[in-house]
Amino acid sequence: MNDRMWLGDAALRFSRPAHLEARALHDALRAVVGVIDVVVTEAHVAVTFDPAKPRPPLDAVLDQAIGAENAPAPASKLHVIAVSYDGADLEACAEALAISADSLVAFHSARVYDVKMIGFLPGFAYLGDVDERIALPRRATPRTRVPAWSVAIADRYSAVYPFASPGGWHLIGMATPFAPFAIDLGDRVRFEPR
Amino acid sequence: MSTWRSSRDGDGDASRASLRVKRVTGLVTVQDAGRPGWMARGIPPGGPLAPSRFHEANLFAANRIAGAGPSAAAVEVVGQLEVEAEGATILIGVDGEGPTALEPGAVYTLRSTAERRVRYLAVHGGIDVPTVFGGKGTLLVASLGGCEGRTLRAGDRLRSLESPSARLRLGTGDADGAPHSETRPMVQAADSNEDDRPRVRVVLGPDLEDFEDVALGVLLENEFSVSPQADRVGTRLVGPRLLRKVALAAARRPSMPMVRGAIQVPPDGQPIVLGPDHPTTGGYPLIGVVVSADVEKVVAAPVGRVLRFARALPA
Repeated sequence: MNDRMWLGDAALRFSRPAHLEARALHDALRAVVGVIDVVVTEAHVAVTFDPAKPRPPLDAVLDQAIGAENAPAPASKLHVIAVSYDGADLEACAEALAISADSLVAFHSARVYDVKMIGFLPGFAYLGDVDERIALPRRATPRTRVPAWSVAIADRYSAVYPFASPGGWHLIGMATPFAPFAIDLGDRVRFEPR
Repeated sequence: MSTWRSSRDGDGDASRASLRVKRVTGLVTVQDAGRPGWMARGIPPGGPLAPSRFHEANLFAANRIAGAGPSAAAVEVVGQLEVEAEGATILIGVDGEGPTALEPGAVYTLRSTAERRVRYLAVHGGIDVPTVFGGKGTLLVASLGGCEGRTLRAGDRLRSLESPSARLRLGTGDADGAPHSETRPMVQAADSNEDDRPRVRVVLGPDLEDFEDVALGVLLENEFSVSPQADRVGTRLVGPRLLRKVALAAARRPSMPMVRGAIQVPPDGQPIVLGPDHPTTGGYPLIGVVVSADVEKVVAAPVGRVLRFARALPA
């Protein structure tokens, strides 16, 4: 925690210890008395607490988490999401990648993805990494409205929009709706063409 | 999500005190003190835009007893709301105005003013809406909480959690009959009128390496005004540009954790201060984060309000 930085008076941010799995790190910090919220992204962790109360002993907890060997792996779920691959950008993506739409679908649905982080929208899980043969930068101009349950790709990630929102990712299909907050850090996701 | 109860359908309890929404314009939602603890799932902390006024309204509505404390669900009004009391006499509290007992049929109108863009109408006992992820507040982006996850509409019925048998003794005691000395709760308003250029305390960083050296001086020595682009997600300010390092601005940053009060700086150099319904992650660098107690000076400020930032050190 030598790079610990303040986020105002009620939160700290620090670099994520590389060898710690996101969910295990989240669970260790969330269990500390006085910690209100823990947000884990690919490179960072933020911990929020009540500024009016004594600061939680985060250093000790993190040292303990980092030093713990053979920590039990938190329960992880595999979510299988059915997709109709008929998104508005499917053909354009295939063209930009110089592959067929069928190949794009095959590459996208062949992998089991890890939940890299959750953010942007409530329940929006960044899934990665996608096959490098379907990795595309985000759209130059974001859409003002992406329909809920759109399946999208951008950079190294794929995701399902759980709610309608603006968005800059490429839309390749529509997911069969699922419980919007079912996917947690540490879970895995597979897409199944429908 | 279809299991969340609608508050439009009557449950036949005509004697229960309620408010029927007659007219509404603007951003008018049910809010409580927030739903902490769910940010890992991407659910922001929520809570009132102006906590001091929210608590004041709840205290005026005599919500200081167990089960309906000063954090009871109330209506947050950015715009205008007209309600009519139904069923039984209902005690409401409004920030800056005080308690009012509404007889059935009485109409009450509450609107944003030049000084108070964000206002609260609390009811004795708190508004009866389902608890979702530990909170009753409306999260519009996820259509979650409050009244069907949306802004209020004409025809909505807001019921009090207070049971109809409890009798109010206005001005003489609490709902439980105990006398109390204070007829008006003592609440320090966060925004007194003379404070027309509030100092907003900010802890600098953590992404200072993304900014040109002059940017900090620009932030701390200039005035910024509140733009009309302000909602529960964030408030865009207008002022001199906070210059980012060109080389870094062009690079794509990984998303990082965000918090309420964070001052994001997009490539145009005009800062955005994150409000209670902010995304839990974001890619714009943070030049600073407003201290908790001062966030409402920004996110509940009237459009055009001029702000100055002052450096604060974390405890």
